[in-house]
Amino acid sequence: MLRFAGRRLAAAVVLVWLVATVTFVLVALAPGDAASRLTDPRISAQTRERWRREFGLDRPLPARYAAWLGAAATGDLGTSWLHHRAVTTVLGDALPNTALLAGLGLMVEIAGGVAIALVQLRRARGRLDSALSFAALASYALPTFAVALALIGVFSYRLGLLPPSHMHSLAGEQAHGPARMFDLLLHLVLPAATIGLTGLGAVARYLRGVLLDERGRLYVLAARARGCSEQRALLVHVLPNALLPLITMIGMSLPFLASGSLVVEVVFSWPGMGQLMFGAALARDVPLLMGATILMTVAVVAGNLVADLAYAVVDPRVRL
Amino acid sequence: MRTTRFAAASLCACALCAWGCRKETQASAALAQTGPHRGGRVVVAIQGDIATFNEYQSSASATEAEIIDLLFPTLVTEQPNYQESPPSFAPRLAASWELSPDGHTLTFRLRRDARWSDGIAVTATDVVFTLRAQKDEQVGSTFVELKSRIRDVEVVDPFTVRFHFTHAYPYQLMDANDGHIVPAHAWGAVPFSQWRTTDFSERLVTGGPFRAATHTRDQTLALTRDPGYWQQPRPYLDELVFRVIPEPAAQLAQLFAGNVDMVPYVPPREAARVQARPELALISVPARLWGFVAWNNRIAPFSDQRVRRALGLAINRQALVESVYCGFARLAEGPVLSTMWACNRALKLLPFDPQQARALLAKAGFVSNASGVLERGGQALAFDLLYPASNSLRHQAAVLIQADLARVGVRVTPLPLEFTTFLARQEAGAFQALLGAWEESTKVDLAPQWCTQAPGRGSNNFIGYSNPEVDRLIAVAEERDLSNVKPVLDRAQELIVADQPVTFLYEAMRLIAIRRNVRGADINAASPFFNVADWYWGT
Repeated sequence: MLRFAGRRLAAAVVLVWLVATVTFVLVALAPGDAASRLTDPRISAQTRERWRREFGLDRPLPARYAAWLGAAATGDLGTSWLHHRAVTTVLGDALPNTALLAGLGLMVEIAGGVAIALVQLRRARGRLDSALSFAALASYALPTFAVALALIGVFSYRLGLLPPSHMHSLAGEQAHGPARMFDLLLHLVLPAATIGLTGLGAVARYLRGVLLDERGRLYVLAARARGCSEQRALLVHVLPNALLPLITMIGMSLPFLASGSLVVEVVFSWPGMGQLMFGAALARDVPLLMGATILMTVAVVAGNLVADLAYAVVDPRVRL
Repeated sequence: MRTTRFAAASLCACALCAWGCRKETQASAALAQTGPHRGGRVVVAIQGDIATFNEYQSSASATEAEIIDLLFPTLVTEQPNYQESPPSFAPRLAASWELSPDGHTLTFRLRRDARWSDGIAVTATDVVFTLRAQKDEQVGSTFVELKSRIRDVEVVDPFTVRFHFTHAYPYQLMDANDGHIVPAHAWGAVPFSQWRTTDFSERLVTGGPFRAATHTRDQTLALTRDPGYWQQPRPYLDELVFRVIPEPAAQLAQLFAGNVDMVPYVPPREAARVQARPELALISVPARLWGFVAWNNRIAPFSDQRVRRALGLAINRQALVESVYCGFARLAEGPVLSTMWACNRALKLLPFDPQQARALLAKAGFVSNASGVLERGGQALAFDLLYPASNSLRHQAAVLIQADLARVGVRVTPLPLEFTTFLARQEAGAFQALLGAWEESTKVDLAPQWCTQAPGRGSNNFIGYSNPEVDRLIAVAEERDLSNVKPVLDRAQELIVADQPVTFLYEAMRLIAIRRNVRGADINAASPFFNVADWYWGT
């Protein structure tokens, strides 16, 4: 087991290095750099050239890479050129916001998808099943921004029930304790619903197919023959077996907790990783881009690891 | 049991409604009063958060510069009266100033009642410290080159400071004033070598009408009135809150819903929606931004003046202004904005004349081929027109230009590029034609854009324009006093317009939406917050 864990860890380190290196090269090869963005009319062309020298952008690519790798290996991800703060601090500010929103969104997506699939299964190939299949497909096909704008239009501007943007209202930002928490929850509803609604269709469609397959197996027939009710057979016997592929799906979705959704974050003015990385890419903020890339890669590796562990918990055969 | 559940659900629903329906604007605070009075909050929508409170760390986005101007003082305030003469200045931190007879020293006398937000007096030491920060290579601010002609600054007494210049030149006061004064006692503790990596929000001491109260990154920056501000009883507003809302459409939605009181950048296509709301005012001010089609003067066929002029004649610029900018722009005439004192008003607008364009292109050797496209020596007159993909206005303009030029037999392919890529290709001169815009400062300086590029000398003349007579005139203008420089600038503009190195398209207007009952606001070309200390809520 230890050897297995060691191998996985070594592979993870190599993967992170590889992805970071490729990203570094791609960013370096992309046209333009941080100094290109100095468009203020008072800024002269000499200033742009000086900035390039000061950021080391005039040095050869291998020298820049070696300097960055040397620092990163010691845990120093540098200072963001855009935010003028340590990269770790900038990421540390944005990551919890994204994890909170994406985590809640994923919960809505999975819980909603499972619930729809179970309802569909009760009357498989009936009218309700067809209607839900269509709805699931539609929700999957709808663009995220359209769903977000529709929700804002209805629940914020027409009904006035929920706030249209931000993590807090102006009053909520100055509040403490439960009032602040309640304010945050209100602001989470629409963006989390957007993530959930646009993703639950895929979960429902996928799970419905697996559940239908599993329900026809002999062990279900045996359970029913022993007097097990249909509902109990579905929940206790069929569902756990159908969850295995779902776990892979969830594991693959875990990096989303770190990357966030740019569209949702922009529409709802949510200060998360999506917006942060988009801004860093536009500004060619190399230290921040590299820091975020490492974080994402670690999230991908961690997601796979969590999926493997969950497999072992759900399916005892995996432990062998 | 069911009743209890129903009651609980109703209670929650009511709480939700009350919370959701609550407007964040506190316009009601001062409703019953007339005339300037204290109280209330104005909420302003901004697209991006401020990256730093220290402008000497920054690459200075327009919004950031406007916010920093509310928190830190400058020596004097540049007035927006640059239409008829060079801009004048009003006292701010400096109560008076005086240029020595030989023009080599400029002495400022500071107000004695100016205080930083921690109660310490703003003195000459702060001014000296600021200049050293501006010029320091380790700080590496964008002011290093700007202040290169200021040799030194000395403290005469705690409230008198003297700038020494390398030589006398027209823009000495403007150069001395550029950049905000920062607190030596608070920021001097950080060595200049660490300025780039220091988070100055943790040691924020300000000296403006407002001070920073709370800053939730990428969400809200709340400024509260500084009770120690020297122009009491100003500012009248208790709070000025900046709310980060990245999407322009969402900014307007929140303005209409009453959650926001001011949107400083309204897209022209949305102007009519704002104007239709009786509670809102739409203010348009000259943006000091002009748009152009840049032709790469280094390469054929754009190296031929006749071709450049013909292409300009074939573009219906009036239609572009009306359809893309909904009339909130005016036709550009030349390299100096028509709102500037230095503009040569005798210049004639380039007409929309496809006939003349065809004739000029024929004179340049272009003939129509079987498919109606002009060609010369077997080479079709076809090129890519680059523009930033994120700019929808320029996308529309590119499509119109494509259609206009197609009518005279020129094949244009609009090519959208990611903004930094666009800037990089512009800077490297790696383009045939591009749709750009240039923001002018109030300091008239034609050299960066129109002087011939010289090796080792920085230049923004990315189109490769070169006219020795223009170079000579610009060099003469740089040394002349502002009172007699106009004829030289006029001649330089004439020559540039005759050469048509770019097609001058439009001068943009900046549209600002604000609630009508925000009173006392003088929103002008200098800044939307020009006299923010005088704002108050009316009925």
